[in-house]
This record gives sequence, structure tokens and C-alpha cells, in this order.
Amino acid sequence: MKIAARAFLIAMLVAAPAFAQQGAEVIGHIQNAQGAVSIQRGGTTLPGAAGAALYRGDRVRTGKPGAAGIVLTDDTSISQGSSSELSLDDYAFDPQEGKFALVLRMIKGTFSYITGQIVKLAPESAHVHTPDATIAVRGTKLLIQVQE
Amino acid sequence: MANQRSIWARYLSWLAGLMLIALAGCASKAIILVPDPLGHVGRAEVSTSAGKQLLAKAGDMTRISGSSSPPSAVTTAAPEFIAATFAEALAVEPEPPQTFTLMFEAGATVLTADSRNMIAAIVTAIERRSAISVGISGHTDAVGSDKLNDALALERAQQVKALLQQQGVKPELISVTSHGKGNPAIATPDGVPEPRNRRVVVIVH
Repeated sequence: MKIAARAFLIAMLVAAPAFAQQGAEVIGHIQNAQGAVSIQRGGTTLPGAAGAALYRGDRVRTGKPGAAGIVLTDDTSISQGSSSELSLDDYAFDPQEGKFALVLRMIKGTFSYITGQIVKLAPESAHVHTPDATIAVRGTKLLIQVQE
Repeated sequence: MANQRSIWARYLSWLAGLMLIALAGCASKAIILVPDPLGHVGRAEVSTSAGKQLLAKAGDMTRISGSSSPPSAVTTAAPEFIAATFAEALAVEPEPPQTFTLMFEAGATVLTADSRNMIAAIVTAIERRSAISVGISGHTDAVGSDKLNDALALERAQQVKALLQQQGVKPELISVTSHGKGNPAIATPDGVPEPRNRRVVVIVH
């Protein structure tokens, strides 16, 4: 009984971040997926199929073979090759309120990145980080390689 | 004695640091500016804690060899290097979105005749692409109260959503937002009427 209660508690703790996302805003989708693609959301790992919704804080991982193409709601487009990991650290696209944020972290792998409306409307609010460098992007397309 | 030990400790940590730098040197990273799907070339500034480089023309590349080394001088990336390194990522690039701009009769939620005819084209694009998202955003010019404009823009966007749903577009694909006057097609000072900014934009991904 005690063990069952503890297991339940642990399960709840693990699942909590996934539940917490329920009310959150969709910031984009996986448009194309090939091979092994997964989404890490809090403590949960979900399959990254084409059409899967993305939320702020998600990490998109590809295996080998694996590749994924992502579109965010401001039309930012990011595609990644195999053995790649991308973290969507921060995102806000609210032109009505003048709120913009785009922080991408390219942890490893290969990426093609095409800027969207956030860079057009508020370029200073967009940042790309790699483990060793920061990129201030003023448009419009970059190829980024990050090796481990 | 203690002094000698600290010299050794310093020497060892220096040696370890050197090895780390050598290892980091192996992890070569490249950042390349290339033309976008419309042929436009932007700009990017790449920084580490030790310096920065500006990428400003097509093919400009800088290499990163660690956070404590400056980005390399800008060179031109060889097309063979781009093809070999980025083939997988480039093969899954999402198709650029298709954008449709719909205009309305002044102050009303009635589409102009031209824009009404565009609904069929939007539906065709959604079907052809097997679209995964259809973003409908309402926009206003910079005249009138924000509240009134935002409400009208949202109402127009909802109107377009209803028309697309009538044509069989699945509601779960559609998201509706109002950008108010915050994302104009033509930038104007506050209070200036600009009919081209009173619009609904449909973006099909």
C-alpha cells in the first residue's frame, strides 16, 4: 500500500509538467519528421510525429537516422538533421500587446534556421545560443553546425 | 613546501586547461549565412566571450572553436561543405508558408468581392499541402480606439474562419488571433488611416 502510494506520487511528479502544459499556448508544430524524432516536455518524452504541437520549453531531439522540420506561429522555420537537439527556451508572439521573445538553444547537431515575424518586428528580442556562441540574427537564413 | 605544492597545483590546472582547449578545438562548429527561399540575404552577428564576427553576404561563414576563442575570420563556405554537412536538415525544411491577404468593406465584416473569391484558393492550398496549421490574424490601421479596432479585427478573422469551415477545413487546424495595429502591412504614424492595413492574413503551413 505504502509502495503503491509512493509510486503514485512519483508518477504524479513526473507527469505534472505534462499536465501543466494543457492550458499553455501552442507555439508551433513539427511539420516534417523522418526516422527517430522525440519531444522532451518537462520529465516526459513524447513521439515527435508530423503535426505534433510544440510548447515553450520543449526540446526536440532526433536520432540517427532522424530529421525534423519545425514551424513556429510567427513563421520561424527550423529544421534539424540527425543526432540533433534543439531547445525552445523562450517564445512570445503577441503583436497586439507588443510582446516578443524568441530564444533558441541549439545544443548539438545541424540546423537550418529561417527567421519569421518576430525578427522582422522586434529583432533585438531574438537570440540563438549554441554551447559556445550567441548569434544575433537580423534575418533571414542561417545554417548552424554544432558538434559535440 | 606548501608553496611548492601550490605551484604544482597551478601547473596541473594549467595543463588540464590546455587539454580542454585542445579538445574544444576538435569540436569545430560552423555558422553560415545563406539566401532565404525568396533569395534575400540578411545579417547575423556571432559572438563568443572572446570576440565577434559579422556575417553579411551570401556564403559568409565563421567557425567556432570554443567559448573562450573568438569566432574565426569570415570565409566563404564551399557549396560542397554545405551540401555534405546540412543535407539532412535541408531535406526536411518545411515548405515556405503560403500567405493570403483578405480585404474588407470599410468598417464592416463583409469581404470585398476579390477577397471572397480567394477563399477557394485558400482551401485548395490547405488540401494540396495537407496543411498542419492555418493561422488567421486580424489587423487594423492606427485610427480609432484600440478596443474597437481589436474587436473588429477579431470579428473579421472569425468571419474568415467560419467561411473556411463551411468549405470543409477542419477547425482544429485553425488558430485565430488579433494583432490589432501592432503588425501593419504599411507602417504609419498613430492616427493615420490606411485601408491596406485593415486586413485579415491567412497563413497556411
